[in-house]
Amino acid sequence: MEPVTAVPVVVAAVQAAPVLLDRDATIGKVIALAEKAAADGARLVAFPEAFVPGYPDWVWRTRPWDADATALYARLLDQAVVVGSGATGALAETARRLQIWLSVGADERDDAGSTIYNSLLLFGPDGSLAARHRKLMPTGGERLVWGMGDGSTLTVVDAGFGRLGGLICWENYMPLARAALYAQGVDVYLAPTWDNSDVWVPTLRHIAREGRTYVIGVTSCIRAADLPADLPGRAGLYGGSDDWLSRGNSAIIGPDGEVLAGPLVGEEGILCAEIDPTRARASRQQFDPVGHYSRSDVLRLAVDTTARAAVSFTGRDNAADLAHSGTDPAAFPSVRPASE
Amino acid sequence: MTTLRVAAVQASYVLMDRDATIDRVAGLTAAAAREGARLVVFPEVFVPGTPIWIDTQAIWDGDDEWFGLLAGHAVVVPGPAAERLGAIAAEHGVWLVVGVNERPEHGATIYNTVLYYSPDGALAGRHRKLMPTGSERTVWGMGDGSTLRVVDTGLGRIGGLTCWENYMPLARFHLYAQGVDLWIAPTLAMGDGWIATMRHLARENRMFVVGVNPVLHADQIPAGFPGRDRLIPPGYTERNGPWLEEGNTVAVAPDGTVIAGPVREREETLVLDLDLRTVAAERRHMDPVGHYNRPDVFRLLVDTSPRPAVVETDGAATSHAAANLIAPAHQPTEA
Repeated sequence: MEPVTAVPVVVAAVQAAPVLLDRDATIGKVIALAEKAAADGARLVAFPEAFVPGYPDWVWRTRPWDADATALYARLLDQAVVVGSGATGALAETARRLQIWLSVGADERDDAGSTIYNSLLLFGPDGSLAARHRKLMPTGGERLVWGMGDGSTLTVVDAGFGRLGGLICWENYMPLARAALYAQGVDVYLAPTWDNSDVWVPTLRHIAREGRTYVIGVTSCIRAADLPADLPGRAGLYGGSDDWLSRGNSAIIGPDGEVLAGPLVGEEGILCAEIDPTRARASRQQFDPVGHYSRSDVLRLAVDTTARAAVSFTGRDNAADLAHSGTDPAAFPSVRPASE
Repeated sequence: MTTLRVAAVQASYVLMDRDATIDRVAGLTAAAAREGARLVVFPEVFVPGTPIWIDTQAIWDGDDEWFGLLAGHAVVVPGPAAERLGAIAAEHGVWLVVGVNERPEHGATIYNTVLYYSPDGALAGRHRKLMPTGSERTVWGMGDGSTLRVVDTGLGRIGGLTCWENYMPLARFHLYAQGVDLWIAPTLAMGDGWIATMRHLARENRMFVVGVNPVLHADQIPAGFPGRDRLIPPGYTERNGPWLEEGNTVAVAPDGTVIAGPVREREETLVLDLDLRTVAAERRHMDPVGHYNRPDVFRLLVDTSPRPAVVETDGAATSHAAANLIAPAHQPTEA
């Protein structure tokens, strides 16, 4: 049983521009910015949605089946992150070296797969991939480039200083998905997003009050001037420095819905805030959506957390089955003990 | 007609005086109807007002007399006060939504209830709040799952939850799944955090949201109110301000934009023209119970049975009798 009280820690939300569709260069930025945040004392450093190798912004600009859109998908697929590859190895090693929890949004695919998932990867200070969450439902135009995760990655992990989990962008408008995280005792809720609207920060504040949790909203900040020259269709799709793909909207919220840092808009930067999960837990005296305020006699949520591989192979050994499934549930237990 | 004119009434009740407060409902509804409102919404437990003593002084500290007042002035459904509210709706030909302290005819537990009256004066819906908040638990009981119903007005589908019940994701989802064009959130919640929630709810289900609060200044408590000195202890207004109910009435569009309000520290009726046609188009972006749901992963089970305290059974015919007696004594009249 873990103690209820915890020591306050500093968390950081990194608002930055990826090097769009360049995985290794973007990971280089992640490492440099994580070093900077860690030097400022952060124990948890969060990067935006699909940061490596960038959010496929063109889904909102191209006609779905144009040649440019296909060429861009091919580049995204090539530059996507495969769990267990050198890319995740470099991120895991960064977390270990800096002794931080490192949350990075990635365009992720299975090793032998051609569907890309919008994933949140959470690396622990022991250099492990402590959690992976594949977004359950892409939004609008995103549905043309991203697949849907299954229920096996609605994960909360115990970081020792608090329990970490999160949802991606408009997945945060799924009440049942949020309830699944609340039920696992999330204290620090990660909400990487691309949403630039004025309503996004009220949503972060609502989630903080509903779950009585800290919320870290983190958004990319990128304009067309940041884009590589060889991006397929670049000239037709994108302008110059006044053409924002995303202005950023990062903010850190406390468990009463109070804004602790941000929102940061129109510039890159690292938001830091000291958080105290003990305070989040104590505030659940007022409201606990999965406890005294739940009415489980009336409302009961069932979540299917089964990993759903498209094909499962029988007549082979288990190791081969798991290697092909790409969604080995044993590798991503819903709760991992603190490993520090 | 697809544009609905709604009046959200931020007003003061006459504390623990049912009939005088219903007089106010009558007057304010008449005024709203004169402005063309087809739906008039009043705050949480407006009749006969908030049991404010639960937050102004220690619980159990000599509050028996006040609870007696609350029980005596609570609204019994059906009963004369409830009928009078229906008559107000009928007189002005409006949908009337009003929060009341409600109790069973022969009971002494008070429920935090919202009553929905149709323009013919019939009770079209009743929602008992599922869970009181904090100190509210010392004055209010809990509703069962049988009163979580959206009401089809013919002008649009309306439904909602009361105060912090709006933070219950599963209760909201259950109502969303019934189709809600206009969400009504009678509340006592003050401050900007509540407004953030109203905006989030609108954007989450792509619906209009109207949050309605009462407003009450300490000077509005009559000098002769029993135990007035204890009700508002010395120094209380200095520490907390003179507004016992500050108000926070607000209206939000389905994209989360604030249309009107928040109104604070004054009485005001917001008159709103809501084009409910925009709801369907907005759900192209987000439909939490449709294309943006994952029913393969999530399954919400809701027990909507009424749960009376006692189900009488009769020997061998037990199951048959139980089925008959499960109907509550005070089933609201269907519109």
